[in-house]
Amino acid sequence: MNNDVTRAEQSEKIIELRLPSKLGYERVAMDAASTLANKMGFHRDRVDALKTAIAEAVTNAIEHGNQHNETMKVVVLLTVREGELIISVTDQSDQSIPPEVLARIPKIDEKFTEDDKGGWGIWLIRELMDEVEFKTAPTGGNQIRMVIHLEQ
Amino acid sequence: MIMSHSTQIHISFPSVLGYEKVARDAVASFAKFVGFDSHRLEDIKTALGEACINAIEHGNLLNADLRVHVLCTYEHNRFLVKVFDQGLKDYNKATKPISIEEKVAGLGTLRGMGLMIITELADESAFFDESDGSSCLQLTWYCDLASKT
Amino acid sequence: MLEDELNVSTRQRDGVAIIDLIGDVTTFAEEKINEAYRQVTSEGARHVLLNFRQNDYINSAGIAILIGIVTEVNRHNQKLAFSGLSQHFQKIFRMVGLAQYADIYQDEDEALQGLMPTAT
Repeated sequence: MNNDVTRAEQSEKIIELRLPSKLGYERVAMDAASTLANKMGFHRDRVDALKTAIAEAVTNAIEHGNQHNETMKVVVLLTVREGELIISVTDQSDQSIPPEVLARIPKIDEKFTEDDKGGWGIWLIRELMDEVEFKTAPTGGNQIRMVIHLEQ
Repeated sequence: MIMSHSTQIHISFPSVLGYEKVARDAVASFAKFVGFDSHRLEDIKTALGEACINAIEHGNLLNADLRVHVLCTYEHNRFLVKVFDQGLKDYNKATKPISIEEKVAGLGTLRGMGLMIITELADESAFFDESDGSSCLQLTWYCDLASKT
Repeated sequence: MLEDELNVSTRQRDGVAIIDLIGDVTTFAEEKINEAYRQVTSEGARHVLLNFRQNDYINSAGIAILIGIVTEVNRHNQKLAFSGLSQHFQKIFRMVGLAQYADIYQDEDEALQGLMPTAT
């Protein structure tokens, strides 16, 4: 197992995207990720899941983390490893995401009566990706790290 | 799409053939977003692919530890794509390209058409040597011009 | 990973050896395309059609492989044609001069008509 990890790290390749905090640019991340995932051999439905998850993560970073401030960047790292793709999305916010937001499980019947019909992003990401982790990036800012495994 | 001021995306990837496809599609996504039609998008994708391959193969000599950087800016109908590499091999001052007649006759390499394709497809293209030793191939398209036929 | 973006297969139709190229034609395509060409040639093909489909990405390294095929086709006195290319890649093929060595047809049927005018 340890040997596998070492080998995976040696062969890992990282693609970095830096995007302005403006809605619409999540498409750039979606297209880059889908091209990469297709090349890695992910099935079509997994590629679609990845596109939705990365779009939610980037729009969260644009809207909540960077508050639509276009001069702030959203940094997307796509790390290719043997058998998996790791996606991290980092904003430049100095406000961390409240734990209750991360834990929230939206229910559609409650949403009918609530003013806020949104709040599905983080829940969707957790549903779609194999591993999801929220943390503060070493450089500051909120970072979401998602992993999707290549099924055999 | 009307944008009040310049917007920029930055993509970097390791110098491994195949990864240029990700940069191509990311930049095409941006170009589509700012309003280029499908013909121009194809021109942008093909030219950028060639520029990235040049950077991977020549500028960075296929060293996977070196990165290719693509900086893409849109301002006042001007779509500017800069491809940076480490400038390990200068392909700017290469000898006269070999014609297809010579290639078919077996006289010299079959490769070496990338720069010609780039020059034909981009509205403008130019090489720059950066002060830090890296080199930059700069490609420009104008959103209000039509595709060259 | 990151390499196998092309499916190559061969078939015969109306006396023409058709090589279907589905996907990306880049440096990684070299072995597959050359192998398919060698196969149809060893079977005695006089007319070879490279039939392109779903080619999102053809680059100069891929075009170099095709120029290599043109060289072989000339050596074996065969006739070569291309079909199924998008408008964009038809333009690129003309740009690099490939069109002077092989006719470019919109689709397979048109190519078969052009290569074998007597066939019905």
